Amino acid sequence: MIRLENICKKYGDTPVLRGVSMSVARGEVCVLLGPSGGGKSTLLRAINGLETFDSGSIRVDSIELGPTPGPARDAALFAIRRRVGMVFQQFNLFPHRTVLENVIEAPVHVLKQKPDEARAVAKELLDRVGILDKIDVRPASLSGGQQQRVAIARALAMKPEVILFDEPTSALDPRMTNEVTGVMSDLARSGQTMIVVTHAMSFARNVAHQVHILHAGTIAESGPPEQIFESPQNQITKDFLNEAVVA
Amino acid sequence: MNRAVAGIALAFAGLFLLNASTASAQDALEKIRQRGSLVWGADQEGGGPFIYPAADDPTRLEGFEVEIAEYLAGKLGVKSQFQQGQWDKLPDLMDRGDIDIVLNGYEWTPNRATRYGTSIPYYIYELQLLARKDDESLRAWDDLANPSDGELKRVSVLGGSAAQSYLESRYPDQVAIANFDGAADAMRAVELQLDGIDANLQDLPVWTFYQNGFPDLVPIGLPVGRGYYVILTRSNETALLQQLNRAIIDGMLDGSLRRIYEKYRMWNLTQSERGLDVDGKGNFSGDRIARAAGESGPDEQDFQAVRGWSVVMQRGGLLVWAAGLTIVLAVISMPLAILIGLVLALCRMFGNGLLKFLASLYIEVVRGTPLVLQLYVIFFLLPEIGISIHAFWAAVIGLAVNYSAYEAEIYRAGIQAIPRGQMEAATALGMSRGLTLRRIVIPQATRLVIPPMTNDFIALFKDTAVCSVITVVELSKQYYIHARSTGAILELGIVTALLYMAMSYPLSLVASHLEKRLARERRK
Repeated sequence: MIRLENICKKYGDTPVLRGVSMSVARGEVCVLLGPSGGGKSTLLRAINGLETFDSGSIRVDSIELGPTPGPARDAALFAIRRRVGMVFQQFNLFPHRTVLENVIEAPVHVLKQKPDEARAVAKELLDRVGILDKIDVRPASLSGGQQQRVAIARALAMKPEVILFDEPTSALDPRMTNEVTGVMSDLARSGQTMIVVTHAMSFARNVAHQVHILHAGTIAESGPPEQIFESPQNQITKDFLNEAVVA
Repeated sequence: MNRAVAGIALAFAGLFLLNASTASAQDALEKIRQRGSLVWGADQEGGGPFIYPAADDPTRLEGFEVEIAEYLAGKLGVKSQFQQGQWDKLPDLMDRGDIDIVLNGYEWTPNRATRYGTSIPYYIYELQLLARKDDESLRAWDDLANPSDGELKRVSVLGGSAAQSYLESRYPDQVAIANFDGAADAMRAVELQLDGIDANLQDLPVWTFYQNGFPDLVPIGLPVGRGYYVILTRSNETALLQQLNRAIIDGMLDGSLRRIYEKYRMWNLTQSERGLDVDGKGNFSGDRIARAAGESGPDEQDFQAVRGWSVVMQRGGLLVWAAGLTIVLAVISMPLAILIGLVLALCRMFGNGLLKFLASLYIEVVRGTPLVLQLYVIFFLLPEIGISIHAFWAAVIGLAVNYSAYEAEIYRAGIQAIPRGQMEAATALGMSRGLTLRRIVIPQATRLVIPPMTNDFIALFKDTAVCSVITVVELSKQYYIHARSTGAILELGIVTALLYMAMSYPLSLVASHLEKRLARERRK
């Protein structure tokens, strides 16, 4: 359902992505692992246009996204963003709106849903992530884990075909990390397609269908988690896993 | 060749300007008759004996020019209608078409005569040198030119007045000149020996009117520097000018003008020497003859300084009214400024190249030029291209334009302070740029900018004072008018200051309340 082909990107003279290709099938959970600076976030953010890329192409369903700026790319991004949700490391909830308002903002103003319907859906979703008792407070009075669960509900409210998770637990302590990975595991079990950039090894090992190790702008190794974690083939993968375990 | 082209262009430009001024000026007399009123411009701040708020009823105007205007209007068969304007801007008001004539101690000069219609003189003024009674070193004009201790004498004058040019042409480098804004201030400066000022060269009628209020001053030598107060009209207003001249001559012949001048103690030998003055029956009467006959003059107007509580009771209400105008000005122009500022900030940050450039240009030009200049351009120069705006709205626009540049920069800072992630989150949710700005970025930025903008609002309250240059009589102008006409600089000054505080302090409270609420919101 998503296919990246030969994505290249440079910041000035420094290449960050050097011809990355991968694909994610419907219902699949794809985890991107690798050392910091390997290009994981950049690759993820290229899918919904938060980052540009210099060459290659991205396909979401039948929508083709190329590197050349212009009306065609804008139209493609418009269509992709309707299908692709995103969850950020820093949650990025809207601080001037309540929890419920955060969740219904886009359904009401982008999808033009009726506010009442959007609210009903939002409450269901907030119930699902376990925040139903806090729907009328502002995000600043929630813990980090609670905020991230609201952010997941906010993404879900758009009924996305794919959700991109950009290090969703990196700003959280271990207990809150578990809250969030728990919700993500439930989502995965319900068949939600997800692409996850993370350092949470247990999530990758237990939930992912596919794991890609990104290093220095290329995919060093890909495979199902059992293969990557039990019998890594590539030296880079081995080094990375060793360091991750030590850390 | 190029010079010829430039010449033709200049000629066209001249023709255009000429057309513009004659087009607006034609048939002033007819317009006055149709309207049923003669609109005359003067500045109350000039004070006695010209025009000032009456001592017993400060909402009524008094002064010899008020009475002359009534007299002239009567002669034209219409009512007289006063229009306040800053003294040096009165001819501009006339060019704008807001007033028909300028009648406010404007002396005849060759320069004025080429630009405006000038009537025959309605008064012949002279200048009187004044010094302190106890200052033995200054007893004659000679003492001014050749000071006994060799030190330059300092003489106060009304800035830009005939007195200033008289001293500059007669005593170059022999006296030091100190410019003042008000005639009474210039006299007070001598009395109090402010800044080492030794003497004042004053309009004689001003001195005779105010002398009760300055018991420590004494006239030195004979009056000098004769000049002629004339009425200004727009140029080419022959019909109006002839009617005015006729009325002045009639007034001299039937004694009406003399009665007015005597009331304000302005009648003197110089006026009689015109030989035009006659008694009520039409008989010529020189002053010497009249004095010999022991004729007592009519009731004379005196300058009485009003001080203490009574002046506050009497004029405080007027100041409160003027404060109301200040509030209305500020309350209308600030929201406009914020709105324009927001649009500018958005253009500057998110617009295409052209919009970005235009917004930056606007902000730099407006921030880089003084408010008084912007008001002046809006009020006096826009009519030249056919846009005439009422003074109040010109003031509102001027303030809004001026402050919009500052509010734009505040908004820009506010928007920049919103974390990048906010925009990314909205974009990822499929919100368009416009929707993101409207629903996510601007509401958050607005919370951030409220405290600095409240600060600007308080500043704007005080900047409304500048609007007096375009005839808007707001609080500080009203203060100057009444402080000068009563001499109660301190009492009315305190009242005015309290009024400004009463307006700005609640705003400070609101600002700090909002700031606290904002801080609370962010913690929650």
